[in-house]
Amino acid sequence: MHRSYYTLIASLPHLPLHFELDRTPITRPRLNERLKLLEDADRDVIDQMSAFLVWDRQPLDRNDQEVIERYDNLMRTVSNPLVRALINTRINMRTIVSAVRRRKAGGSPPVGVGQWVDHIRRNWEHPEFRLAGRYAWIRPFQNLIDEGAAREAQRLLFSVNYRTWSRMAEHYAFSFEGLILYLARWEIIDRWTSQDANAGQQRFEKLISETLGEHANLY
Amino acid sequence: MDESLLMILGWTGIYGATALGAVGSIIGCSRAGQAACGAMLDVESGYGRLVGLSALPSSQIIYGIVVTMTLRGNPLTAQSAPGLFAVGVLCGIALLFSAAFQGACCASAIHASKNKPEVFGLSAAPAAIVEGFAVFAFIFALVVAGGIPQ
Repeated sequence: MHRSYYTLIASLPHLPLHFELDRTPITRPRLNERLKLLEDADRDVIDQMSAFLVWDRQPLDRNDQEVIERYDNLMRTVSNPLVRALINTRINMRTIVSAVRRRKAGGSPPVGVGQWVDHIRRNWEHPEFRLAGRYAWIRPFQNLIDEGAAREAQRLLFSVNYRTWSRMAEHYAFSFEGLILYLARWEIIDRWTSQDANAGQQRFEKLISETLGEHANLY
Repeated sequence: MDESLLMILGWTGIYGATALGAVGSIIGCSRAGQAACGAMLDVESGYGRLVGLSALPSSQIIYGIVVTMTLRGNPLTAQSAPGLFAVGVLCGIALLFSAAFQGACCASAIHASKNKPEVFGLSAAPAAIVEGFAVFAFIFALVVAGGIPQ
């Protein structure tokens, strides 16, 4: 059954077209407070998705067996089609990113999980694993990795996901699916802002300045 | 057809416009009202216009009441009952859908104007257009009601 969440979704601030913000539009504690408006069953789905996103934030250098077990476990427990699609999107991206990095390091194809593992193994010698038609970001990502621009490469991946989920969100107004996509995008903003040390420093200085006013520069 | 069944159809038509209009207004105002409540959690001012917008789908119940009063003015006979049923129920269905979807339009308008207050008027335009269709259904129910055989 599709539940509507008019109150909850209307209570959430608008997410902009781009994720490169100084801070998240809503803080995590306040977001969690708003999510208490969810029905129990939907709350469970959100918890499953949150658990995946937390796991997904961990470094890419995990052992393959751990990734496989985690993925299999998720696919057994998650039944919501949109959450499954989000997980698959992220897992596929992880697999491709892992393949690009391994090939650059002179390694072998990743064991990994998801629909592209065998395809990548078969097309290991092809520059973009014959996936450029479906994933246009592989080439620019490879270029950035080759240049050693890790942060820009991360920005590219965030941008791809953020755009995809923003487009999907246009089809869901005030629905649970709309909320899932909101949280997925919020998580990208949160990841970006938490990585942005410079922005954090500026934010801190601005906060100090706002709090102390002209006294901020006394010492 | 059994005369008692015809009477039931006739009364269903007479009251149907009000009942279905009420159901639509309940759904529409509920949707828009929930959105207004949510928006109030996220804004610091302008609460009044949010609540005002959320009340827009209440007009359909008023149209339904007027249609019911008009149909009630016709004598309920075996000849008039099918016409009363058709006009009342079909108008009621139109009012129900218009109110329910107008509520969704209002909820979107509330959500949009919460983030960009300057688009408040424009964002309410889709809801006003939906209202226009309800008015068509209402007016022509009154026109057709005048031609129901006695």
